[in-house]
Amino acid sequence: MSGTEITRRPGRHSLVVSGVAGATAAAMALAGSGAGAVVAALGTAALLAGVRRANHRVVDVGGLVAFLGVAFAALSEAPAAAVLIGTAAAVVAWDAGTNAVSLGRQLGAEADTVRAENLHAMAGALVGLVTAVFGLILFEIGPTRQPVTTLFVLLVAGTVLVVALNR
Amino acid sequence: MSEDDPRRRDGERADSERSDSERPDGGRAVLDEAGERSVEPDDGATERSAEGTERGGETSEATDEADGATTDGTAVAEATGPTGVTVRSSRIRSTNHWVGFATLVFLSAGLGALTRSRPLLLAAVVGVGYLAYANTTEAPDPELAVERRLSEAEPEPGDRVEVTVVVENVGEAVLPDLRVVEQVPEALAVTEGPARAATALRPGARMTFSYTLAARRGDYRFDGLTVIARNASGSRERELDVETAPASVTSLAPVDATDAVPLRGLTSPYTGRVSTDSSGEGTEFASLREYQHGDALSRIDWNTYARDKTLTTMEFREERMATVVLVLDLRTEAYLRAGDDGPHAVDRAIDATRRVFNSLLDTGDRVGLAAFAADTVWLPPGAGTTHRARARELLSTHPSLSPTPPERRVYVRTQLRRLAQRLDDDAQVVFVSPMPDETSAVIARSLHVRGHAVTVVSPDPTMRDTPGRRLAAIDRSNRLNDLRGSDVRVVDWDDDERLAEALERARRRWSG
Repeated sequence: MSGTEITRRPGRHSLVVSGVAGATAAAMALAGSGAGAVVAALGTAALLAGVRRANHRVVDVGGLVAFLGVAFAALSEAPAAAVLIGTAAAVVAWDAGTNAVSLGRQLGAEADTVRAENLHAMAGALVGLVTAVFGLILFEIGPTRQPVTTLFVLLVAGTVLVVALNR
Repeated sequence: MSEDDPRRRDGERADSERSDSERPDGGRAVLDEAGERSVEPDDGATERSAEGTERGGETSEATDEADGATTDGTAVAEATGPTGVTVRSSRIRSTNHWVGFATLVFLSAGLGALTRSRPLLLAAVVGVGYLAYANTTEAPDPELAVERRLSEAEPEPGDRVEVTVVVENVGEAVLPDLRVVEQVPEALAVTEGPARAATALRPGARMTFSYTLAARRGDYRFDGLTVIARNASGSRERELDVETAPASVTSLAPVDATDAVPLRGLTSPYTGRVSTDSSGEGTEFASLREYQHGDALSRIDWNTYARDKTLTTMEFREERMATVVLVLDLRTEAYLRAGDDGPHAVDRAIDATRRVFNSLLDTGDRVGLAAFAADTVWLPPGAGTTHRARARELLSTHPSLSPTPPERRVYVRTQLRRLAQRLDDDAQVVFVSPMPDETSAVIARSLHVRGHAVTVVSPDPTMRDTPGRRLAAIDRSNRLNDLRGSDVRVVDWDDDERLAEALERARRRWSG
């Protein structure tokens, strides 16, 4: 039967969103070490390839490698702000990538998904930035100079509580 | 409670929208709307909590105002708007989107603690933020109103029909990720634009998408949408099968005929166009016989009387009206197609049936319709305009004659028996079938042995490009030859040939 076939992969726009976020992660890693930036860039490239081929697994691996690049930069004495933004950017790149793959599989490359994708990426970035700023403020100018571990455990406890209350 | 809610709200909305008017063309105006709303993502996420507080009463008024503002310039009076939907099935599930993320968070926290790296611990804090984001919300339960506009409800087959779907969020919750897939009738092909879209909808907002279909003969209903609603983080999703207000496309095949169809010399008692071997009244001279009391004066051969004073009566060939029943083969086996594109054999068969039917009516024969199909298809032989209209309706919209194969089994023996009971003794049968298997030949033969003159019109679905296909083609042509051998007339209609040519070719062979 003649007619348009559904292309079961993400459209071009998805690459832009993930690419920008991934590039941000790599740039932030550069503040720590060149090697970390290279790893983050490689991860981003793998992630983009995964989005292009609509392969969830490749996107996951790419996102993980991009984060490892940022983590490597963190271990090389990168400033805390750069590490936080880099982490959020890596998560946003991965999140936007998997979201794009699911959109591509469900709706195809021809469907107009720009608005949905943008909004999803914005929401993800906002969550990252809010928690990053929150952590940074508590860490830098909080009344007590507690170790960050305390903050971390506190947040985990809070999250578990909220999840438990929601069930 | 949740089941009553949408309807009540629908009623209110319908009232508030009656004063609103629709845009003349959904497409362009919606671009404006989308443009206006595409600003939202910048501040939309920050506003989400703010929207939560203003949900109470302001939003519906605000959207009504916004609608009024965008429609002011180009308004036309058309009172219909999106109408509420009923949910046929709803399924909620986890997308596994954030699975494994917690492991990564704790790994990086552990690594940060081990190496006493404060930045890495802070990164884990960000991760915890995402975990909370992923796990604290549930997929929204969308309350939608849908409108479907068709550019044309009764197109000619082959025409393009543009379908515009408007989806409005009539609930009170924001739908951060809404994916809508149109349930296009299976037999119709989408030629332009995807029949799917994704967007985010705040309460009262609308999304619009449109696509183009190629109309086919038949009656098609549009009454469903598949909706997938996710929460903002995409960790949970709800898949809905919703029933919308029905819209339908009815495409009737045109009334056209082909050249006269050659019929067998078997007839009904009514005067018509088929010359018979029986003598009587007519125009073509047949023989002379002795005058019998009661013969019409006009048929006395006065020349003979002048010569030798004996009365003789002229006999003419009688011309009678034929009763023809066109029988379609709509078994699953008949749905064959030469190549990947173009109409399949049943489409061509129905097309041929329509033409033959109309041309037989034009020449004054009584024509009926029957089919080997999952449901009963039977139009008793008749004549006249009403009959023609009835046949057109049946050939275009009968569910058994749709372009998709039947889902149920077709019981050939039962149908054959029923058909034999219905057929008049003197009825001819035109069996329209691609002759895909031995059963089709059995149908033709058994109608033949019951005393009906059978003509097989067979659209050829075979190709000859691979050995397997060549074998199938030879198999079929052997089948046709066997039928010819048992005194069944066969019109073999090639894929690239006009029906009239095939009929003419067959006529020459029969007369010669």
